[in-house]
Amino acid sequence: MQDPELLQEGLGLMALGMGFVFVFLAILVFTLTLMSGIIRRFQPTPAPVASGDSAKPKSPAKNQDDETLAVISAAVHRYRSKRRR
Amino acid sequence: MDKLLTLWQGSGLYNLEVGQAVMVVVGLLLLYLAIYKKFEPLLLVPIGFGGILANIPEAGLALSALDQAIDVGRPVLLEQIASALGGSLDSQANIESWRTSLQQMMANGASAEQLATAKALAEGAGYGDGLLYMFYTVAITSGIAPLIIFMGVGAMTDFGPLLANPRTLFLGAAAQFGIFATLFGAVLLSSMGWMDFSLNQAAAIGIIGGADGPTSIYVSSVLAPELLGAIAVAAYAYMALVPLIQPPIMRLLTSKKEREITMTQLRPVSKLEKIVFPLLLLILVALFLPDASPLLGMFCFGNLMRECGVVERLSDTAQNSLINIVTIMLGLAVGSKLMADSFLAVETLGIMALGIVAFGIGTTAGVLMAKLMNLVSKMPINPLIGAAGVSAVPMAARVANKVGLESNPHNFLLMHAMGPNVAGVIGSAVAAGVMIKYLG
Repeated sequence: MQDPELLQEGLGLMALGMGFVFVFLAILVFTLTLMSGIIRRFQPTPAPVASGDSAKPKSPAKNQDDETLAVISAAVHRYRSKRRR
Repeated sequence: MDKLLTLWQGSGLYNLEVGQAVMVVVGLLLLYLAIYKKFEPLLLVPIGFGGILANIPEAGLALSALDQAIDVGRPVLLEQIASALGGSLDSQANIESWRTSLQQMMANGASAEQLATAKALAEGAGYGDGLLYMFYTVAITSGIAPLIIFMGVGAMTDFGPLLANPRTLFLGAAAQFGIFATLFGAVLLSSMGWMDFSLNQAAAIGIIGGADGPTSIYVSSVLAPELLGAIAVAAYAYMALVPLIQPPIMRLLTSKKEREITMTQLRPVSKLEKIVFPLLLLILVALFLPDASPLLGMFCFGNLMRECGVVERLSDTAQNSLINIVTIMLGLAVGSKLMADSFLAVETLGIMALGIVAFGIGTTAGVLMAKLMNLVSKMPINPLIGAAGVSAVPMAARVANKVGLESNPHNFLLMHAMGPNVAGVIGSAVAAGVMIKYLG
């Protein structure tokens, strides 16, 4: 294969590949959002965050809870992923 | 005395070539990195050991029956093989040059039939496929080992964080720029005459930037099996180095204020969503990129087993015992590709250099994309999680978490970083599918 041709083909593949990855994942984002929307509409989660952004003022106690939850879930996750690999 | 001489000539010491000795040292180095430095030990131990086995002189563990016969066979057998391959040997030349000319005959233009006859001859003379060669045929030539590992990874992956915030998929997409930039880099190197990579080889090298071991091995087994050893070693070595490679780049590209950004708590994701997700992904793959279906199909299958909740036993096997068995076979098979004559080349150095560049570019692209998204979106996005877009699950997410904690000790980014992290796995599998479609 001629060198300039190889270079051109590499550039082509780069543009095509990157473009495709983005388009595919964009479609995935779109369908996921749609899917989640449908599922959450027909089967509301028992969790307090039923609708997307609730403008309720958060009490400090709840903040505390969120933080504890984050810490615990991070710890659980770290423990699990340590056991994994 | 004669017998003593035969024994000496059959010994490893007599037959050891410089290249083999060097490769044994390389194998020992990999073992050292795995055992003392804890670099991806699960893979580097089998790979390093396989590399040593493959370079034992005269044993031919990594050779096919035919290669072995050519390597150590008697003159009579060599002549028979030559005639089976449709050539003849120069009766004046010595036996060593016979062996080389036979290898050349095999490399250029022996038909499948001729090869089969020659193989039958070699087997008739009592030569068999080497142990590692068989591992390689079963595990990698068939493509099965990387795919089973991918199934196991699917069974281990929780898509909850991704489903709670689907936009992080874009971060996983951006980080794949490392793959394609490296591909272009490899092509550039060969067009400048420094290296000699074909487009297929360049693509296989680029996939290192996906930071995904099984994907790299799968792609290079399809596109460039001759580079598989170097590519697999580079991929796993750099995956182990993620905690060293990424943080400097992440700190360079973000300000302290950006690193301190706290992200909003992820919403809980229902079980139904988690069950539907692998099926949805599978349908999209089937519709848009069937070439990625071996990788992503197995991945979705593993994930469905995990999430559906009715096949605990299968899911447990896929993510524990099965993946362990396959890892042993895969490691040894990759080790068989660490043979001196194919590994000790300038190209290997090029692959190592390009691999690290790929990681760097992938990280950079991910972080920059996260900064961009932070500008346009209402929800704050910490740019650090962009770096987790190169797959390397879950190492890259942990690195993002750690760097985030350095700036703000109360900022736990781990769950947020898992989103782009698993998105990176999907992204690199999609990139692999595109490459195979385009070049395969």
